[in-house]
Order: sequence, then structure tokens, then C-alpha cells
Amino acid sequence: MKVIPQGLKAKWFWYSLLCVLCWGAWVLCSKLGTNEIPASTMQFIFAFGFIPVAILVLVMKPVKFEKSAKGIAYSLGNGILAGIGGLTLFAAYRSGGNTSVITAATALYPLITVVLAVLVLHERLNWLQMVGLGFAVVAIIIFSL
Amino acid sequence: MHLPPWFWFGLITLISWGIVGLLQKLSTNHLSAEWALVWLAVGFFILEPWLYPGKVLFTYSHRGLEWALLSGVFNALGAWALLAALKSGGKASIVAPFTALYPIVVVFLAPFILHESISALQAVGIVCALIAVVLLSTESSTA
Repeated sequence: MKVIPQGLKAKWFWYSLLCVLCWGAWVLCSKLGTNEIPASTMQFIFAFGFIPVAILVLVMKPVKFEKSAKGIAYSLGNGILAGIGGLTLFAAYRSGGNTSVITAATALYPLITVVLAVLVLHERLNWLQMVGLGFAVVAIIIFSL
Repeated sequence: MHLPPWFWFGLITLISWGIVGLLQKLSTNHLSAEWALVWLAVGFFILEPWLYPGKVLFTYSHRGLEWALLSGVFNALGAWALLAALKSGGKASIVAPFTALYPIVVVFLAPFILHESISALQAVGIVCALIAVVLLSTESSTA
């Protein structure tokens, strides 16, 4: 009898895979969209795509309204910065660069998060993250050639 | 050194999303992941008045607008799936690097859907970037 690896039985594995596929589809739709319309319009319409999913999330698991001013401010800041990042990503796709290269380059954003986590949250880098920083620098140098 | 235009746009994306990664950590210290997602969506709409293209919106190709809307739906669904993976027992130290691998889907599908190919050097860069993303997404320890 064939043994099924434990990870394949776990729900989190399939949810993670769904995430990877959805984000892959998001990139491809983004590139196809930016072939036709400007980056700012892409971002304008893109935001509406969040409405059905946000409603779905709250319907599937109704959670009591949370009024933490700090939490709301951080999340709003999140949305604004994610929107600005999305806008410039659409502009990058529209500028005619290679989609795979742009996607891989912008997926390096944990590089900034890790550095900020050290500076702001006083977290310490583990050795894997230090090696990761090295690979990120090499990747950025190659993309800039 | 001449850098292509996409590089500068991509750099702004990198920095903005890098800060988002930090704010996400801070926001979920105060809110459930569900409400953090809802307020993030509200944050998107704060930018809308500046992005609204005016009446010209109705002159754009329907196909382009449909791709833009689908792009938003897929992005949000991916965010929900990430949340669900963490809620259903996935460790952040495994789920975060795993989900950061979405560029692989693009690399494999771009030649067929977008008819784009990559050079050998770009392929090396992409492999380095993927290794970097997986390693950087491992959990830091607190000081």
C-alpha cells in the first residue's frame, strides 16, 4: 500500500497550495490587465475584488467587531501601503519588463520586513535569514544587470 | 549603469510591501486576522479617490477591467487561504516560506499564457530570489 506523506493529509498544506495558486493567478491576471489599461485604473478596480472575499470571510466566521484603535490604524496603513505597492507593481508590469523577473524581484519584500523587524521590533536574525539576505542581494544584482 | 523602468517601480513595491509585512505583525497583535483583512481592504479604498480615472473608465476595454477585478479577487482569496492555513494548524515558519513560492507558478505558466521567455541569467536570478524568499520567511527570534 502506498504511504501518503503526513503533510498531504493536513488541511494547512492544501490551503497553502491554494494560496500559491491564487497568487500565481493574481500575477497573471495583473499582467493581462496591464496590457489593456493603465496601472492606476488597475489598482482602482483591483480594490473591488476584495469586497466579496472580505464579506465571505466575515460570513464564514462571524467575529465580534474589534475596536482597537492601534490595530485599525496599523491595518489601514497596511491597506494604503499595499495599495501603493500594488500600483507600482502594475506600473512595472505595464512598463514591458519580463513578468517572471518582476514577480520574483518584488516577492523579495520579506527582505525589507526582516530588516525592519530587527530595527523596530528588535528581533534577531536566525542564520537561515542571514543566508537569505545574501541570496536576495545576489538576485537584486542580477536583475539590475 | 542604466536600470530598466520596471526596476524603480519594483523597488517601490518592494519597500511598500516590506513595511506592510511589519505592519501586519503589529496589526494582528491587536486585531483578529479576519478584521485585519477587512481593515486592509478599507485601506485600499482610502486611495480610491486619487485613483478614480473619471468617465474615461467606461471607455476602457471590458476585458482589461475584468482582468483587474479578477486580479483583486485572486489576491484576496490567496490572503484568505494563507489565513486559513495558519488557522488550521499550519506553522507560520512553514506556511510563510511555502506561500512565498507563488512566483514559481508564474515562471511555469508565463511562457504558455503570456508568451514570455527568460534568459539563463534571469533564471539564475529567479532561483536566487526564490531561495532568498524561503529563507527570509523563516521566523526570527525575539531579542
